[in-house]
Amino acid sequence: MTDNTEVQRMSLDAALDVLARRREQQVVVGTMTANGAWRQKSPHDLNLACIGFMGGASTLGLGVALSQPERDVWVIDGDGSLMMQLGSLGTIAGAAPANLVHFVIHNGVYETSGSQPLPSQQQVDFAQMAEGAGYAQTASFGDAEEFDSAIDELLASEGPTLIQLYTRPADRFYSARPTPPGTTPALARMWPPVAEALATE
Amino acid sequence: MTAQSIPADQLLSAIREAGVQDVVLVPDTHQRTVLDLLMDDEEIRTVHCSTEDEAVAVSAGLIIGGRRPMMQIQHAGLYASVNNLRGVALDGQFPIVLLIGLLGRDPELEPEEDGSSMVRLCRPLLETLGIPSHLLDGPEDLHHVAAAFDEANERKGPVALLVGTTTS
Repeated sequence: MTDNTEVQRMSLDAALDVLARRREQQVVVGTMTANGAWRQKSPHDLNLACIGFMGGASTLGLGVALSQPERDVWVIDGDGSLMMQLGSLGTIAGAAPANLVHFVIHNGVYETSGSQPLPSQQQVDFAQMAEGAGYAQTASFGDAEEFDSAIDELLASEGPTLIQLYTRPADRFYSARPTPPGTTPALARMWPPVAEALATE
Repeated sequence: MTAQSIPADQLLSAIREAGVQDVVLVPDTHQRTVLDLLMDDEEIRTVHCSTEDEAVAVSAGLIIGGRRPMMQIQHAGLYASVNNLRGVALDGQFPIVLLIGLLGRDPELEPEEDGSSMVRLCRPLLETLGIPSHLLDGPEDLHHVAAAFDEANERKGPVALLVGTTTS
């Protein structure tokens, strides 16, 4: 059994910096608290977000990856999110998209609701789970420099790949504001331009 | 009324004529003869999901990338997929067509009169969600398959097709 109690953890900021330095024309599906930080670090017309359907980032990314096999697709998932759709590990492994890289931000808490602990917070190891499910490669990092040194080789290899990133939880939570009637939901605004960009490139 | 069984090859032809490229599925006993044909089909790709809410998100991703998917599930999976039907298909305005098997339905009864809650609550749930549905109660109803894609594209949202009795 893995014990993550004493695992080394980097800041979310440092982990996302490593990814932002490699951002080219990948479609990136973000979710939860990491999504806001990612969009600031890497604003791009190929960013998608899983907003309002926690747990759906991995399979939304899978669909895009299967439809665009020549383009790399990154999912920046959360540990609480993935716990909600754990079966997606088997779904992704079964579909076996070589172009999908599934990053999982492992901070051990539901940060959006005030950093309450995840079930099995101390033991859960998504890299082991993904390996057991049949991902082509998996890795875990808690140090940004080590992650920076290793990522290019991982990205150059065929996926599906799961990279678990141990990060320190931040002391914050998301407080939803009322949505005015008639508002077009974020996802409905976000995906048509991505679809258009993919169709024309 | 008596629902008539739809031959698998006829349903597959209707799916093909609707231009479907990917069938995103969680297996449905009710439609197993169609599944057998689909899994041997060289043109239509099947994507096998662990849960039906995953199937909604996979379908949405395929649409973003320019594909034409169709979901194939059973009624129990409809209930399991409600959050993503709301958060992805409805809020995201994705034209996803769902083929839903009414496993265990009494073909002599309207679905709403059925003794099984899984059958009986299917259309009321879809109605509550604002998802149009069409019952396929025999080969003469197969025109709804292609029409459902037109309807989904026009309304920018999901449309359900209910397979009324076991395919043959």
